[in-house]
Amino acid sequence: MGLILWAAPLSAILIMFLTKTTKAHHIISVLVSVIEVAVTWVLTYQVMVEGQIAYGFVGKLFYLDAFSIILLNLVVIVGMLAAIYNIGYLNHEKKNGEIDLKRIRLFYMLLYGFIFTMVFALTVNNMGLMWIAVEAITLASTFLVGFHNDKKAIEAAWKYVIICSVGIAIAMLGIVFLHISSLGINEGAGILDWTTLYDNADKLNGPVLRFAFIFILIGFGTKAGLAPMHTWLPDAHSQAPSSVSAMLSGVLLNTSLYPIIRTVSIVNKNMESSVFTGRLLIGIGLISLATAAIFIITQKDYKRLLAYSSIEHIGIITIAMGVFTPAAVFAGLFHMINHSFTKSMLFLTSGNILQKYGTREIGRVQSLIKVLPFSGTVFLIGLFAIGGTPPFSIFASEFSILISIFDNNNFILGVTIIGLLTLVFVGIVSTLFRMFYYNNREENVTSGETNKYGVAVIVIMLVIISITGLYMPEGIFNLMVDAQNVITGGI
Amino acid sequence: MRYIEYFLFQGIVLVMLAPLVNGIIGKIKAFSQKRQGPPFLQLYYDLHKLFKKQIVVSDVSTWIFKVTPMIVFTTALCAGMIVPVVTSFIPENFPGDIIFTIYLLALGRFFMMAGALDTGSTFGGMGSSREALISSLAEPSLLISVITVALISGTTSVSGMMLKMQTENTPLLQPVYVMLFLAILLVILMDTSRIPVDDPSTHLELTMVHEAMILEYSGRNLALMELGAAIKQLLLITLVVNLFLPNQLFIGTTGVALVVISLVMYIIKVIFVAVIIGLIEVSSVKFRFFSVPNIAALSLILSFLGFMQYFILGR
Amino acid sequence: MEKYLDILSILILVSSFALMANKRIKSYINTFRIQAVLISIAAGIMGAQSYAIEKRLDIIIVCVLIVILKVYYIPKMLHKTYADIEYKVGKDFFFNIPVLIFACFALVVFSYYCISDIQGIDKGQLNIQIVNSVSVVMIGILFMISRKKAIGMIVGFLVIENGLFVTTLFATQGMPFIVDMGIFIDMITGIMIMGIMVFRINDKFDSIDINDMKSLKG
Repeated sequence: MGLILWAAPLSAILIMFLTKTTKAHHIISVLVSVIEVAVTWVLTYQVMVEGQIAYGFVGKLFYLDAFSIILLNLVVIVGMLAAIYNIGYLNHEKKNGEIDLKRIRLFYMLLYGFIFTMVFALTVNNMGLMWIAVEAITLASTFLVGFHNDKKAIEAAWKYVIICSVGIAIAMLGIVFLHISSLGINEGAGILDWTTLYDNADKLNGPVLRFAFIFILIGFGTKAGLAPMHTWLPDAHSQAPSSVSAMLSGVLLNTSLYPIIRTVSIVNKNMESSVFTGRLLIGIGLISLATAAIFIITQKDYKRLLAYSSIEHIGIITIAMGVFTPAAVFAGLFHMINHSFTKSMLFLTSGNILQKYGTREIGRVQSLIKVLPFSGTVFLIGLFAIGGTPPFSIFASEFSILISIFDNNNFILGVTIIGLLTLVFVGIVSTLFRMFYYNNREENVTSGETNKYGVAVIVIMLVIISITGLYMPEGIFNLMVDAQNVITGGI
Repeated sequence: MRYIEYFLFQGIVLVMLAPLVNGIIGKIKAFSQKRQGPPFLQLYYDLHKLFKKQIVVSDVSTWIFKVTPMIVFTTALCAGMIVPVVTSFIPENFPGDIIFTIYLLALGRFFMMAGALDTGSTFGGMGSSREALISSLAEPSLLISVITVALISGTTSVSGMMLKMQTENTPLLQPVYVMLFLAILLVILMDTSRIPVDDPSTHLELTMVHEAMILEYSGRNLALMELGAAIKQLLLITLVVNLFLPNQLFIGTTGVALVVISLVMYIIKVIFVAVIIGLIEVSSVKFRFFSVPNIAALSLILSFLGFMQYFILGR
Repeated sequence: MEKYLDILSILILVSSFALMANKRIKSYINTFRIQAVLISIAAGIMGAQSYAIEKRLDIIIVCVLIVILKVYYIPKMLHKTYADIEYKVGKDFFFNIPVLIFACFALVVFSYYCISDIQGIDKGQLNIQIVNSVSVVMIGILFMISRKKAIGMIVGFLVIENGLFVTTLFATQGMPFIVDMGIFIDMITGIMIMGIMVFRINDKFDSIDINDMKSLKG
C-alpha cells in the first residue's frame, strides 16, 4: 500500500511527459493527488489501529508512525488543494499568454517530483535516506522557485539552491557524526535507522551525539527557515508561483523540521533530560521569532511579509519542541497542522491577488474586497487568523503553547513570546490593512474573480481553519497524542 | 687526533661536493631544453679560473666589503662542521646546535647584504632589500620544521636528531615528515636562489636577488662567495637528506670501509635531491617578486601543518 | 596501509589549501581535479582493504564512480560552462590570498580543538583523519564565502561534498551502500542544476558576479 504512495507521483510525471494537452495534465494532476489523499487516509486508519507501519525491501525501508502520518496527511491534503487551485491559476496565465503548453507540462512534472520527494522524506526509516530526500527536495524545487524566469526569480532561485545545499551538506556532517556515535552497536542492516537508534539510544556515544545534534540542527534548520539561516526564505517564497509558495511554506518547512525533531527524541532519550536540546531550540526559536517580528514591520511586498510570518511560526514550533513537556509537544504538533492550512490559504489567496493586480507591492493594491469579493474577504479573515485571533486555529495552538510554557514555570520566556507575537500582529495588520482601502488612484483592474477553482479551495481552507480551532474529532486527537508519545518517548 | 682527522675529512668532503650540486642542476636544465649544457664540473673550472684573476675593489667601500667573502665562506664551512654529513661522530656537538647552525648561516647572509650595500651601487641595494624580505619570510618555516623534528626526537642537537631519525623506517610515509620535507624543500628553493624565486643566469634587474648582491665582487673574492653559497646549499640539502632519508650505515664511526660506503650513499641521496630541485626549476617560471611571499606562505603552512600533525598524533 | 591513508588525508588537506590560494577559475578547477584524484586513491585503498577482509564490493564501486564523475566528468563540465559564458576580468575574491590562507589555517586549528574535546572518539588514527576531513569541509565553506563568481560557489560546494565523503570514508568505512549512491545522485543533480542556473544568471544579468544580484533585500 505504501508503495502506491511512492509510485503515484512518479507515474504522474511519466504520464504527463507523454501527454500533450493541458486539460489532460490538469486531470492527471488532480487524479493523482486524490489517489495520494485516499491512500494516506487508508494508511492513517492502519496507523491508528496498529500503532506503526514498517515494511520494505531491505529492512524496514518504509516506515510510518503517528508523527510522520500527521505530517504526511498535511502534505497530501495541501497538495490536493493546491492541485485544484492550479487548474484555475494556470488557465488564467495561459489565457494571458504568459505560459504555453510546454511550460505548463514542465511545471507539473517538477511539481510532482517535488511532492514525491516530500512524501519520500516522510516515509523512510533510515536517516541517511531521509537526508537524501531532503536534498532532493531542494533540487526539485529550485526550478519551481525560478519558474517566472525574470531577474528576481533567478536571483531567488540561486540563493535558494546555494544556501540550502550548503545547509544540507552541514546536516550531512551531522548524520556522519550520528553514525559514528552508533558504531559500537552491532547492527547488520539497521545502521542509521531511526527505530534502531531510538531503541538503543542510551548506548549511543553521548558527546558525539550532541555534536551530531548541533550540526543537524543548523543544517536542517537552514532548510526549515530558522534564523539566522533564513535568508533564502523571503526571496524564494515571494518569487515562486503561488501554489508552489503555498507548498513551500505550508508543508516544506514542516518536513524540514521533521529530522530535527526525530534527532531531538534520540538525544533526549540518551541524555535523560531535555536541557541541552531545549536550550538550543528555544534560543534559535526566539531569534527566529524576533527576526521575523522586526522585518515584518518594514515590508513592502505582501508575499514577503507572509514569508516572514512563516519564519515566525516555525520559530514558535521550535520553541514548543524545545520546552519538551508533553503538553508543549502536543501543542507544537497542533500548531504545525494549523500553520500549514492557514499559511497555504493565505498564499493561494495572494496568488489570486497577484494575478488580478499584477504587482507584489502593498502600496499598489487597493480596494481589495470590492475587486475580488471572495479572495479579499478570505484574505482579510486570514490575516487576522495568522496573527492569532480567536476563534481560528492558530489562536488555539498558540494559546496551548503559551499555557504549556507557563505551566513549566518559564515565565520570562512566555512573556517574551507574548510581546513578540503582539509585535508581529501589529506589523501584519497595520501593513496589510491598506490593501483594503481605496486610495483614489486610478488603477484599471476589472473586478471579479479570475480563478474559480482557487476560490473554492480557499473557502474550503477557511472553513477548515475555523473548525479546527474549536473542535477536534476524537480519532485525530488520539492520533496526535500517539504522535506526542512517539516524540517524547512516553514520558 | 680524531678531531683533526674529522675536520679535515668533513671540510674536504663539503668543499669538494658543493659545486657538484650546481653542476647537476645545470645539466638537468640543459637537458630539458634539448641542449648539451655545461659539463658537470663547470663550477670547479670557474672557481679555478677565478682564483687566478685580479681583484678589483671600489674605493668608496669600507672594510666590510673586503671582509665579507671570507666571513661568508667561513660561516658556511663552520656550520657544515656541525651538521653530520657522513658519520655521526661530531666532536663539537652541544644541545641547541641546530639553532647555532641556522644563525651562523644568517650571519653570513647579513654580511652579504651589508657588503652589497657597501659598494654604493644601486644593484647592491636592490639585491639586499629583496634578500632581506625573502630570507625573513623563509626563516620561520625552517625554524618550525626543525623544531618539530627536535620535539619528536627530544633533543636539539643535529646529530642527536639524525641519530633518532635513523630508527624510523621510511619516515617519508608519515604525514608529519612529508609536510616537513616539502616545507624545507621550499625553503631551499628560496635560500639558494632557484628559479621560482630568483634567476641568477639572467643579469636582469627584474630577476636578480642573490646575483645582485655579489655583482661587485671579482677574482678570489667572487670565488669565495660562490663557494660559500654552494656550501650553504649543500648544507641545507644535507639537513633534508640525513633527516628524512636516513640510511642505517650512518651510525658508528669505525672502519674506513663503512665510512666510504656511507659517503657513497650520501652522494647518491644528494644527487637525488639535486635532481628534484632541478626538476622543480625546470617546470616553473620565475614568480613576480610580490608573489614570492605566497611561496613563503605555502612553506610556512606546510611546516605548520606538519607541526600540527605531530601535535595531534601526540607523540 | 594505514600510513598511506594518513598521508593521503594530509595531502587532501594541503590540496584544499592550494585550492584556496588559486586566483583564476581554470586553475582552481584543475586543483579540484587533483583533489578528486587523491580522494579516489584513498577510496581505492580502503576498498581494496575491505574487499580483502570482508569481501564487500561497495567501496570499490564508489571509488570507480568517483573517478568517473569527479575526476573526469565534472571538471570537464565546469570548464565547458566557463568557456561558454562571457566573463569580465575582475578580482574573484573578497579578501586577498594570504588573509584567506591564514583564515583556513585558523579553521584547521579550530576544528582540531573542537573534535579533540569530544571524549568518545578514540585517539590515534581516527582522530587525525577526522580532523583533516572536517577541516576540508570548513575550508570548502570558506571558499564558497570568499568567491565572487558563481562558478566559485559551485566548486566550493563540490569541495564540501569531497570533505564529507572523506569524513565518512575514514570514520565509518563508508555509509550504507544505498546512502552512498543516493549522495552521488544528489550531488550530480545538484551540480547540473547549479550549472543551469549559472547559465541563466549569465543570460539575465550579463555577468556571473554575484555582487550584481542585489535587488531582493530586506
